Amino acid sequence: MQDISLHLLDIIENSVRAGSRNIQIRIIKDTNANFLRIIVSDDGIGMDPMTLERAQDPFFTSKTEREKKVGLGIPLLKQNAELCNGSFKIRSEPGKGTVLTAEFQLDHIDRMPLGDLKETLLSAIVGHPEVNFSIILNSLDKDKEKSFHFETAPIKEELGDIPLTYPDVIKYLEQSINEGIQITNMEDV
Amino acid sequence: MKTLADLKKIREKAQEEMKLRDGKVRIKIVVGMGTSGIAMGARDVMKTFLEEISNRNLTDVLVTQTGEKGLSSMEPVVDVIEEGKPKVTYGNMTPEKARRVVVEHIVNGRVVSDYVVATGD
Ligand SMILES: Nc1ncnc2c1ncn2[C@@H]1O[C@H](COP(=O)(O)OP(=O)(O)OP(=O)(O)O)[C@@H](O)[C@H]1O
Ligand SMILES: [Mg+2]
Repeated sequence: MQDISLHLLDIIENSVRAGSRNIQIRIIKDTNANFLRIIVSDDGIGMDPMTLERAQDPFFTSKTEREKKVGLGIPLLKQNAELCNGSFKIRSEPGKGTVLTAEFQLDHIDRMPLGDLKETLLSAIVGHPEVNFSIILNSLDKDKEKSFHFETAPIKEELGDIPLTYPDVIKYLEQSINEGIQITNMEDV
Repeated sequence: MKTLADLKKIREKAQEEMKLRDGKVRIKIVVGMGTSGIAMGARDVMKTFLEEISNRNLTDVLVTQTGEKGLSSMEPVVDVIEEGKPKVTYGNMTPEKARRVVVEHIVNGRVVSDYVVATGD
């Protein structure tokens, strides 16, 4: 993965595969405390302690479609977070859901860029119309706090049977997400 | 700021338009978004499909994404599904190839055989 937004998409795909109906994505950029934190919580099937431990091991996957039984998504993100003085943790409860937190030292020289956050969010939202997404972006810079909150459930309710990949809807979602990214200064993180 | 009122207008316009063509989705595009697909550029492929749909105003096309399906050596992988026709799977996709698939297959109905890696069910 070349950047954090691609890792994020990968982690969201795990939540989707776990059968989640609701996924919350929270990104916090804190210049004072010098961190960039990504939190993905879902209400999917969750993991028991053994699966949770194995999920952080690159030689485990629950995917049955493939011959090579290795799951790389989580171990790669964990490694990238820890490489730049960050941290990584997952809390999970079978039947309840999972919360994954990855933190990076904001000004660490080896930190990968956040990348194209808009494209990750847009892709996840339209790619999984059955899932309700809640997106929260927070930025803290000196005394200035900015935040953006975006929910897809009311949008889908308003749209009824009009698909999320209807041309004008794509534009609507894209503009909304872009506004949020600009408000919270997440363009070139 | 975008509001739900903007969305209401979009819905009304879309509903009018859908009435004219029975509200049917003519074609479905499914982009594989497993870890290896993402690492190989699947998000940019998805982005290209969304851009093309939006720019060409293709109102009867649906795009979704799925985990990977064991074709890791050919990622990014894209399925094109049309009612009454065998599913077409394109492999080793790039934004350029996605654009060509939109023009030739989605708009003009000709499968781009150069990029096909599997067909059927
Ligand atoms: N949000 C989640 N809810 C439930 N289980 C999860 C979640 N995220 C990961 N897992 C479990 O952890 C395993 C490892 O995840 P990881 O992303 O590392 O690999 P993978 O998804 O199996 O394969 P890859 O990501 O390489 O395509 C998954 O197979 C799944 O069993
Ligand atoms: Mg994964």
